[in-house]
Formats: sequence, structure tokens, C-alpha cells
Amino acid sequence: MERTAVGPPDGVIVQAVLSGDVEQYAVLVRRYQDRYARYATRMLGSVDAAEDAVQDALVRAYDQLARCRDPDNFAGWFFLILRNRCFAERRRDQRFAALDGVPDVPAEENTEASLERAERGKGIERALQDLTPEQREVFVLKHMEELSYEEIAGRVGTTVAALKMRMHRAYDRLRELLEEMR
Amino acid sequence: MSREFHPLVKQLLDGERTLYSLPPELQAEAQEAVRLLGAMDRRDVTFSSGLEARVMQEVRQHSTARRVRANTDPVLWRWLTAPSVPPWVVGAVSAASVIALILVRPGPTNDPEAIAQATAVAPESVFVKFILFAPAAKQVTLAGTFNRWEPGTTPLVRVSDEGVWTVTLGLPVGQHQYAFVVDGQRWVVDPAAPTVDDGFGRKNSVVSVSLEQGRVM
Amino acid sequence: MLLAPHLAGQGRADARLAGRVPASLAAAVTALLDSAALRGLPGAPLVDKTLEGVAKGAPTDRILVAVRTVFHQLDAVATVLAETGNTGADAVEAGSFAMSAGLATSDIGEIARTADRAHPAATALLVAGTLAALGVPRAETVALVRATIRSGRPVGDLVSLPGQVQAAMAGGSPPAAAAAGLARAAEAHLAPGPRGKGRGQGNPHKP
Repeated sequence: MERTAVGPPDGVIVQAVLSGDVEQYAVLVRRYQDRYARYATRMLGSVDAAEDAVQDALVRAYDQLARCRDPDNFAGWFFLILRNRCFAERRRDQRFAALDGVPDVPAEENTEASLERAERGKGIERALQDLTPEQREVFVLKHMEELSYEEIAGRVGTTVAALKMRMHRAYDRLRELLEEMR
Repeated sequence: MSREFHPLVKQLLDGERTLYSLPPELQAEAQEAVRLLGAMDRRDVTFSSGLEARVMQEVRQHSTARRVRANTDPVLWRWLTAPSVPPWVVGAVSAASVIALILVRPGPTNDPEAIAQATAVAPESVFVKFILFAPAAKQVTLAGTFNRWEPGTTPLVRVSDEGVWTVTLGLPVGQHQYAFVVDGQRWVVDPAAPTVDDGFGRKNSVVSVSLEQGRVM
Repeated sequence: MLLAPHLAGQGRADARLAGRVPASLAAAVTALLDSAALRGLPGAPLVDKTLEGVAKGAPTDRILVAVRTVFHQLDAVATVLAETGNTGADAVEAGSFAMSAGLATSDIGEIARTADRAHPAATALLVAGTLAALGVPRAETVALVRATIRSGRPVGDLVSLPGQVQAAMAGGSPPAAAAAGLARAAEAHLAPGPRGKGRGQGNPHKP
């Protein structure tokens, strides 16, 4: 997920944009538009919704660029804007949660085990949508994005202890939801 | 009836314990938990190639709208070209200070010509000039919400023998609280600016930068 | 108000407090930031107040009291703004500022209900807070802001209200009288007709 940076550091680009060179913002867009795509998709339940959210968040990040207090960490600041946007999205009615865009198992892997896995995968995705946004987020960041609790705490501005509480509730809720689905 | 996962199994899920460290009676539950995690689709998601174009289109529109506002607003023109000092400068001088707030547009001079030719305005920031009259001071700095209340980072410059100190900052839109720090220890508010309680028994001065026409209150 | 206060102090503190804030204070404020995030409240005002207290050398427990006060302000404002359909961190921060300047949540609700597309709630609340900070009493502040919005004047006129009040004050007028005078002028511009004199814009087709 991490790519090596090519070109000038974020802080230089941000300064250029703030000085009036609007077109330079495209560099930041290209650098970060997919960085949190998976996170946004799992938070919102569909790739389309995630793409809308990232588009909105990138435009809002431009509007608020003067408020970015650490321009070299544009990614972290943009993540928070995207995160707010994901949390603001109204929770979808669970019965109609769309899973469009969530990739199916590719055809070559068509064994019974992998089909069963795909079914369970869909179940998890559906069940994730039934967690609270805070629970879903810590689950996605830890088990999808492979961040440590400390890293997550630093990004979203909370304590490791609070995150573990949320996560453990999420584990129980997921277990409950998956049993209901059987 | 579903039960909660055993706390040790949760530690396993958190990556703080191995499967084999769990007692035999928890192995089945642990396997179930591990299968739950293993079933997740972790593949990367990439968005359509049109996303960048759509973002930049919107960004350019926002930038143009701001530029048009900055260069054609008659209220702003009147404000910029008025030779007199803004109405809230108080003539009387207290022992501590007299302070004025003046709106200055980005650019090398206040010449209306130069401002008319200014290109895109930085997103959502306006230049504000702070002035303090403190003839006895040896050092004056500005601390506020816009610089994390660090008294050492924003010094004023003494621009006249009589004791006028100034600094100009680009401030983003919103409400900002601040105070002057004289000689590293005396916190001084702007007697001519609005003030609010700071919650510590003192007061803070307030400056508000509005999105509309970049006005300062 | 704190989440699991007995756990405060464990784990990392919020990065914005790093390096300047004593560990125990950072942990307590981080827990407040956690609560704020859960309620959708902006965290920056809490961080600002913490850094301010440290810079001014206030004792730790006093800083925490001040930060909690800001938290309660944000919470109260967010609640009342949500009822008026105004969400958005800008409006909440502006409302919190207005409260610290002396306005009550009911005043903020009234102003937010009067706000419209041309006069956003965040701007109206910034103006109201600034007027109150100048010494204009609550009633006159609310009346002046509402009258200006409802008169349909451009938003620049709303934003220039504090300057106009200060000019009148420099001329010797007390803040309340200055504000009342401006409000009367604004109300005089409201169109007469079936809506009634000075009653503001209402639905002309009221049942």
C-alpha cells in the first residue's frame, strides 16, 4: 500500500498551490487518490460511494489547504478529511446494503473451498456495515490496512485502550451477525 | 444464542498471542475467530481514471470563483483604497498600547494597480497586519490560535523610534484568538479589538476572518 | 464525559499535543478528543485551549477545567445547531466562539434558524460572537444579526457590523445603543406588505 514518493515533497507542492499555482494540486490528487480507497470502500460498503467520498474530500482539502498545519504530512491531514466525510455519510439500511464493486473471487480459483471463502467474505462485508462507524474503522485499519493500534491511535487522535475496547466489541458483534446469517 | 469471544481469543485476533498458547478448550473458538479474519477480501481498490479530472475541474472552479471575488468586489476596493485609518483605531493611548488591525491584500504594495493584477488568491487566507504601540518594550511577539500559542515564533518588528511594532500574517478563514507577549512575560490584549474570557482569568483578543470578500472583523 | 477515565494515561497521546504538554494532561485531553470525535465535534478548539493554557503557564487542573468548558460549549452548540439543520465544523466552532463571548445556546439557535444560503450560519455566528465580544448585550446582538440577514442585504453588510458598532462606540455611543440603532436601520429596509411591518421574511401564504 505504501509507495515510494517520487518528485517534490508534499510540503513543496502545498506551498506552490497556496501561492496560486492551482494546477500543482493535481500532483497531490494523483499521489493520494487511491491511498485510502480500500479504507473508504470498506467504511462505506461500495466502491462507488467511496469514489464519491474521495472526490469530495480531495476538493475540500483544496478549499481548506491553508489550514493544513503540517504540509509535509498532507496524507495524514487528507485522511482526516476523508474520514470525517465517511463518518458523515448516513448509515445504509442493512437490508439494502449494496456490495457492488466488491470484487468476486477470480474464475481460476473456483474450488469449493474458495467459493465457501467468497461466501464468507461477502458475509463479513455485510456484517461490517452493521457495526458502528467507529468499530468498523478500527477493524478495517487494523485487519485490512495492517496498522498497529499505536499507529491507528495517532491517526485518529485517540488512545490505544479506547481502540481495543471498540475492537473487542466489534469482534463480538461480527460473531453475532455472522451466526444470524447462517 | 451467541456468546462473546473469550478475552484470550480476542488477544489472538489482536495479534498479541499465538494459537498454540491458547488452552485446548479454546482451540475451536480460536479457529473460528481466525477463519473470520481470513475470509476478508484484502485486495486493493483503485478508482476510475476520471477521478483526477473531476477533482481538478471542481478545484479550478473554486479557484476562479475566489479570484473573481477578490478582484471585483467594490466593498473590498473601498476598504483597500481608503486613506484613513480603519474606524476601530482608538485615538487615546493607554500606558500599555494602542493597536490597529488593517486588512492588507497579498502583494508587494497596497497600490490598487498591483492588487488588480494579483493572480489567484491563496485558498482561504487573508493577510492581517497587527500593530502594537509599546515604547518601553524590548521584545514583542504574537501568540494565538494561528501559531499554536507559541510566544517565540512570531516576533513583531519595531518600525519606528516612537515605539510602533508590527507584523503581518496570512490567516485562514475562521475565528482566531491572540494576545501580544511583551518582553517574554507580559500578556497584553488589544484594547481596541473585541475580547473574550480565556478561561484562565485573563482575556484574549479576537480577530475573525470571513470567507465573504475576505473581510476582517 | 470521559471514556473509561481509569484507562486515561495508557497508550499514545494525540500527536497535536506532543512535545509541549505534560503527559498526564495530554492523556486526559486525548480522552476528551476521543469523546469529541465520537460525537462529531471538532477537536481543534480543544487542542487550541490546551496549548494556550500551557503557553500561559496555567496549572494543569485549571487547564483541564478550561478544556472541558470548551467541550461542553461545542457539545451544546452542536446539539442546538443540529436541530436547526446546520451541521459542519465551521458553524460549531463559530457557535462555540459566540458562547465564549457570552451568548446562550438559545441565541445561537435563533441566529442559526435565521441564516440562509446568502448568509451562512458560521458567518452569522462569527459576527454575533464578535459583537458580543465588543460588549453588545445578548438581546441587541441577536436582534441586529437577524435584522441584517432578513433585510436581504449582501453578506458583506453582515460582516461589517462589528466595524460599524465600533465606529459608533468611538463616537461615544454605548454598545447596546449602537447596535440597536443599526438594527432599526436594517428593519426599516424590510419590505412592507402582507408579511407585516418589520416581521421579517415569512411565508406570505401562511394558512
